Amino acid sequence: MIDLQNVSKQFDGKRKVIALDQVSLSIARGEMVSMIGASGSGKSTMLNLIGGLDRPTSGEIVVDGERLGRASGDQLTRIRRDKIGFIFQFFHLLPTLSCLENVALPLHLRGWSRRRIEERARELLDLVQLGHRLDHLPEELSGGERQRAAIARALSVYPPILLADEPTGNLDSQTGAGILSLIRGLHQRLESTILIVTHDMDVAESCPRTIRLKDGKVIEDIRR
Amino acid sequence: MLLRLLTWPYVRKHKLRAILTILGIALGVIVFVGMRTANDSVLYGFQQTVDRLAGKTQLQISSGETGFPEEVLERVQALPEVETAVPVIEATVRTGLPGQGNILILAVDMTGDRGLRQYEFEEGDESFIDDPLVFLAQPDSIMITSEFAARNHLATGGRISFDTMIGPKQFTIRGIMKSGGLASAFGGNLAIMDIYAAQQVFGRGRSFDRIDLKLKPDVPLARGQSALQTLLGSGYQIEPPSSRGQQFESITRIFSIGASLNSAFALLIGLFIIYNTFAIAVTQRRSEIGILRALGASSRQISGLFLLESAILGLAGSIIGIAFGLLMARGMANYVSSLFGEIYGVAQRVETVAADPKIVALALVIGVATSMLAASIPARDASRVDPAAALHKGAYESFSPRESRLRLIAAAGFLAIAAFSLFLRGSEGLRLYAGYLSVVLAAILLTPALVRRLVVALRPLLRSLLPVEGALAADSLIRSPRRTSATVAAVMLSISLVAGLGGVSNASYESLMSWMNNVLNPDLFVGASEQISDRSFRFPASIGGELRRMDFIDELQMVRTARVMFRGAPVMVVAVTIDSLSRRVHPQVIAGDPSTMYREVAAGRGVIFADNLALLKGVKLGDIVEIPSPSGVLKLPVAGITIDYSDQQGAILMDRSVFVRNWKDDTVNVFRVYLRKGVSASEGKRRILDRLGAQSRLFVLTNDQVRRFILRVTDQWFALTYMQIFVAVLVAILGIVNSLTVSITDRRRELGVLQAVGGLRRQVRQTIWIEAMSIALVSVLLGLALGAVILFYYLGIIREQIAGVRLEYEYPVRIALSLIPTMIAVAFLSALGPAESAVRSSLVEALEYE
Amino acid sequence: MNKFLAVLFFTAALLRAQDARRIMQEVQDRARAASQRYEGTLKVIDSRNKISEKRWTYDRIGSAGSSKVVIRFSAPAEVKGVALLVVNHPERSSDQWMWTPALQRDRRIAFQDRSTRFFGTDFSFEDLEERDSNQYDYTILGEETVNGAPCWKLESRPKKSKSSQYTHAHIWVDKARYVFEKIESFHGGKLIRRLIYGDYRRIQNIWTPLTMEIEEVGRKSKTILHTEKLQYNVPMKEEQFTLQALRRES
Repeated sequence: MIDLQNVSKQFDGKRKVIALDQVSLSIARGEMVSMIGASGSGKSTMLNLIGGLDRPTSGEIVVDGERLGRASGDQLTRIRRDKIGFIFQFFHLLPTLSCLENVALPLHLRGWSRRRIEERARELLDLVQLGHRLDHLPEELSGGERQRAAIARALSVYPPILLADEPTGNLDSQTGAGILSLIRGLHQRLESTILIVTHDMDVAESCPRTIRLKDGKVIEDIRR
Repeated sequence: MLLRLLTWPYVRKHKLRAILTILGIALGVIVFVGMRTANDSVLYGFQQTVDRLAGKTQLQISSGETGFPEEVLERVQALPEVETAVPVIEATVRTGLPGQGNILILAVDMTGDRGLRQYEFEEGDESFIDDPLVFLAQPDSIMITSEFAARNHLATGGRISFDTMIGPKQFTIRGIMKSGGLASAFGGNLAIMDIYAAQQVFGRGRSFDRIDLKLKPDVPLARGQSALQTLLGSGYQIEPPSSRGQQFESITRIFSIGASLNSAFALLIGLFIIYNTFAIAVTQRRSEIGILRALGASSRQISGLFLLESAILGLAGSIIGIAFGLLMARGMANYVSSLFGEIYGVAQRVETVAADPKIVALALVIGVATSMLAASIPARDASRVDPAAALHKGAYESFSPRESRLRLIAAAGFLAIAAFSLFLRGSEGLRLYAGYLSVVLAAILLTPALVRRLVVALRPLLRSLLPVEGALAADSLIRSPRRTSATVAAVMLSISLVAGLGGVSNASYESLMSWMNNVLNPDLFVGASEQISDRSFRFPASIGGELRRMDFIDELQMVRTARVMFRGAPVMVVAVTIDSLSRRVHPQVIAGDPSTMYREVAAGRGVIFADNLALLKGVKLGDIVEIPSPSGVLKLPVAGITIDYSDQQGAILMDRSVFVRNWKDDTVNVFRVYLRKGVSASEGKRRILDRLGAQSRLFVLTNDQVRRFILRVTDQWFALTYMQIFVAVLVAILGIVNSLTVSITDRRRELGVLQAVGGLRRQVRQTIWIEAMSIALVSVLLGLALGAVILFYYLGIIREQIAGVRLEYEYPVRIALSLIPTMIAVAFLSALGPAESAVRSSLVEALEYE
Repeated sequence: MNKFLAVLFFTAALLRAQDARRIMQEVQDRARAASQRYEGTLKVIDSRNKISEKRWTYDRIGSAGSSKVVIRFSAPAEVKGVALLVVNHPERSSDQWMWTPALQRDRRIAFQDRSTRFFGTDFSFEDLEERDSNQYDYTILGEETVNGAPCWKLESRPKKSKSSQYTHAHIWVDKARYVFEKIESFHGGKLIRRLIYGDYRRIQNIWTPLTMEIEEVGRKSKTILHTEKLQYNVPMKEEQFTLQALRRES
């Protein structure tokens, strides 16, 4: 489902930083993988590359059969839009839009009909148990609720891949556990491929496979 | 130090915005320097020519523009206070030489004129003119300047042709003056001829335009002046040559006011752009300011930092503005010069367009002061930043409830002043200016509240159009009222001024059209110049007899126009055969009985005043007015007041007999010709030219041609308005680009999310375009509404303070309707750059951005 | 000083002045004629020796301060018909008018312009004027010989100081014939013009100079007037010396 071959990422600033160094990795369909490592180990970079938010300096990334390296900006967006759902640490809900509107956002961007968007958005919010908060603005929701809404938005078209960047990083442990179980539930129900970046060992260990990065290299790949 | 540490990195990061801000001030300074320099150059050119022509002249005697009988000269020469007094006739004629335009002919009495003017001659300085007796004996003698001779490859004995009363006439060059001094007057396009020959050639009869004189060495100027005034009476103006410049200034006053208003307008716009930039910068740099405050910077240091920044930007903008303003001045000077020639019939020539150090200094001061003034409010806001609060990110882009309330109260106060001033009696000027200013200030204060309401109303519409892009664009505007309203206020003001000026220009055209329809109705105009406003040439009255004998002419009116001094202003006397005129024209009568007033005027028992002149000079129906004439002061009652656009300064209509009697001058400027039924204008024109064209200088203009001329000149006049539209567009571009560059920074994360969840580049671009177009739409709507109010004040100010012209209030719907799409298109174009920069920025950074 | 001597001195001065006036009166009386006519050729030689020539006819009625003069140019062709009328007055400056036929109009030569040059010659308009000897005060400065003729050297000063561009003049009067040999006109201490009379002939019993050479000092040019066909007491009428006549006869 996700294949990395000799992927490197180098940031050209005043000092060159090698964020990823010749990483090769393969994640199969339906896997739920956690990625851990210290700050600056390259785990977020890898997530961004897989999600098509950024491009590798060298190497090839194939996501669900699509070669990201050769895709144009808009092609990348289309790949993202059809195959990938993002879950962010800081939720990144748009503050001026209601819960329902936030979830509907990607569907609108796909140009769906209003009726279909409405149906799907409600369905998704029900799925994350936010059916009762449709018209609330993000600032009126609790942290956990915001992340649920963000997850609902990521699920919009039931993409085969979900990428989560510290999904519980900004939540207390109890709420975090709730979100994690939601994600695990979705994994089982939707059979999505899920990649979670985290530094929380509890979260990491709850996944069947854990990849550890250090200095831009995979130093450990544990399957439980 | 603070500047280098803090400002420079910020400026470097926001290069575009810094450039735009500098341009904002530069724009104002360009218009100021360009307009002023052009205007001053024209005035200076005129004054320069006057000075050079004047030589040692201490006083000049004139009687308006009309000239006066020759006999006056001997009386003046006999006065014991006078040392030398010489007659002068001045005329501007076309040279007919390619690229030379007009030449100024100075006609003097060669026997005595050397006492006043220094004629320096080419080839052997004492040879005078080749033969002075021949020069005087031959009326075709002319003396030119060496510069003009060189330019046109002319030499002594050569011939040159000028247009004269008796058609194009060959002159023989019998003298060439050395360049410099007198010879450099009018840019060297100067010719000297004998005054008695000039009387014939220019149809002056036995009159002089002017007497130039020098007093005896021991006579003070004031004593000479009063002795002459006693001798000649108040029908004569006795002034030093420099006052001709003042008169010229007074004639062109309305244009100068317009130019000043334009500069003020451009600076005001600059002010808003600076304000906009600084308001945005202060909000963006809030946390930085908070850190500084926490580290111990005083609030004075903080506001000083911003003021210093604004002063530097202002200085940079001023320098650029001065440079470009001076570049523009040359083109503008030529435009102004030709406009003056056509409207006022006053010949002048721009010789040099030079930077006046005073204007340059003033521009620098104004540029820097405007910039600092604009930055003063944001700087004050910056100094009040609470260090603790600033370090927390929050909704600082919005107004605090207290501030909003204060704004509303202040706005209500200004509106109350404006409403109150409507009922104020007494000082019209104060009433209008106070009202105008209050309305504008209220509008600026209300902008955030109005913008919010309008955008909230607009949001559902945008959302239904493009659900995500539209709604997000509207939200961006609502979320940042400071940023948005600073931009909207700038664009709104410029739009309102355009709408106001558009309304004025529309109303002027309307009024002019109706005057032309009612009054300007002869089939043909027979004049001595191609330009109907040119009064250099006049016909002898006898031509009237010849025209009258033509059987295809139904009615003929002889018109003599001349500027005279009335209550300190040069106004136009229009002398016509009233009896005939009253049968043909139907002007809009403001005061007086239309059926009897013409009878009184025709009988020489009254005059008719143009409404604008009456208003400016406070003349009422029935007043006895005093009009200076060479025969003494003419006292006549005002029999009527009508709308009359014969002259921008205002016209006094009198019967021809009164003029001939008092000015001892029966020449004619223009014949108004009504043809018999069945004779077409072109046929009439042809037949008049057939009979008279060969024997005298004669131009026959059809009604259509005259109308087109007037409209063309009016168009040129209002070209200023189009320039303002151009400036408004520039302001919109600057303001919107400025606003958007900030907006895309603010919306960076939002735009990143949008792309992360599947938004295409097109969709990102669209939301920015919509934001820009929404700003434009809101600004235009508010601007057009404000313009409706401003137009009211403009018309009032024009009527009461500037031109006295009565203009109907009519909203310039066409201009308004065309502004909406124009400004939206402008906004779209302005948004292209920022939108591209938004889609090209790194998604990763955008999402990390917090 | 001795009172007697002083009286004697002043009396002597007075007598000398009286002598001067008598000499001038004699000059004026001897030249007196009812009228005069001649044809003149005016040659102007400028600083570069360029010579221009004009011809005129000269008519005068009356003499000295009550005379009237009409000068009509006859050549060259460009100036033919241009005329000048000078009406002298015993008590004040003359009136002068110029007539230009091409323009068909006359122009007054204003008093202020009398010191300007008469159409490029070395004469000024004032020099065309004839004044009565009573308008001047005279003193004898001495005796000198000019052109071989013994002369009195007189000084003349106008009685009304501001009526002339000259403050005074030196006049050399031929003792034998009572005619002018030379006149030098001054402004302050500066010599302005020098006029030399020559070629005296006795015409109708009046000693008449047929050549006059005038020079505006400092300009390096010279103007020479030759007269021909000079006659006195030609029948003329006062009406011929009016502005109307000037206009009519062109």
